[in-house]
Amino acid sequence: MRLLVAFALAAGSLAAQSPHARLEGRVPAAALPGIDSLIAQAAAESLPTEPLVQKALEGGAKGIPVKRLVNGVRHGLVQLRDARAIVSRSTPDRAALDGDVASVAAALARGLDPQLVERLLTGAPPPGEPPGPVLHAAADLVAHGFPADSAADLLRTAQQEGLHGPRLLDVAVAASHELQREGGRTPVEALARVRAMLPNVPVAAPPHPRAVTRRPGPGS
Amino acid sequence: MTLMDPRLQEALDGERDPATLPPGLREAFARLAAAAQLLQEPPAVSVADRVMEQIRREASVPAVSPVGAALRLARWLARPRAVTLRLRPAWTLAIAAALAVVVLLPLGESVTPGEKEGIAQFVGHFPGARSVEVVGTFNDWRRGALPLSDEDHDGIWHGAVVLPAGQHEYMFVVDGERWVADPLAGRYVDDGFGAGRQNALLIVRP
Repeated sequence: MRLLVAFALAAGSLAAQSPHARLEGRVPAAALPGIDSLIAQAAAESLPTEPLVQKALEGGAKGIPVKRLVNGVRHGLVQLRDARAIVSRSTPDRAALDGDVASVAAALARGLDPQLVERLLTGAPPPGEPPGPVLHAAADLVAHGFPADSAADLLRTAQQEGLHGPRLLDVAVAASHELQREGGRTPVEALARVRAMLPNVPVAAPPHPRAVTRRPGPGS
Repeated sequence: MTLMDPRLQEALDGERDPATLPPGLREAFARLAAAAQLLQEPPAVSVADRVMEQIRREASVPAVSPVGAALRLARWLARPRAVTLRLRPAWTLAIAAALAVVVLLPLGESVTPGEKEGIAQFVGHFPGARSVEVVGTFNDWRRGALPLSDEDHDGIWHGAVVLPAGQHEYMFVVDGERWVADPLAGRYVDDGFGAGRQNALLIVRP
């Protein structure tokens, strides 16, 4: 119990720290001014800064050389700008949320085509639903070799059938299972099988580990 | 052995009038006659009577009576008893150490995720590794926060933790120096540092 309280206090105090304070001692001193500058630019543009702080912490922990580390953070800033542009075009009637921008940036980092991302955002997601799950489901399908357009069509149909949030990830899992089924199916056949199942795709089984601990520290 | 005077014997046998005995024998006759009388009459309350009375009293309480059983249990519990404790220092220290491990270590603690949290399970096959830990966005990429365990030394390291729902990037760090993307993650993302390395991607479901 004392350990959990300590974690909670540590998380609270660290979350309240400035990005500079969180990075000091965790990244090379030579990289700090450049990273501070990039984070300041993101803040000035009303972009989320936490992904950039995380990228810098990651680079510091991995021992990435200074130049590549700063470039990695800069690349993250560019992706956030691209993501915000996509979100703004997709939902012009409301301000882009930090969470949505971060989700889109993550989808771009996973290799999703920007046009496909935009298409998924302007599709049929219920208003106010975070775009993360549908984007990850699309990225999963593309990573398994499904044609991007067919994958987007399937996910749109799933949304119209009432599936949303993490259930969209089940659609991608079901498609990859169909693809691996004995006898062999083409991606098009697998997608057709899943489309016929909708909305009743199997639900992923939750993990049942022997022992679970609390979150081991502050995070994003 | 001292022989009894024949005159006293005759008086005890009723063959002679005790009044005809000389004074010394008459006194001995009186003591012996009183003793004989005492032996012939049973005591007013014998030991056998007291024992039987106790047995009858206890038998009058039904054996299955919950009240009686409770009373007997209460009496048994309340009765002080002498206990002899013989300690072996080696065993005592071992038991104390085991208790300290159970009380102080957080391993195995059961935690229920909140509404916007989920359980993340990490499993990796690293035969011969001395340590495996998980670092990622959920712990600010800080080392030492989430070690995995391999109690049976079969090379399969595992651990589970409650995390906020959503996406998390992470890596395994093997033996404190080797960074490995989880081979079982199923989702990966370029780490953006230009060397073509990937982080594992975890999506925690609420």
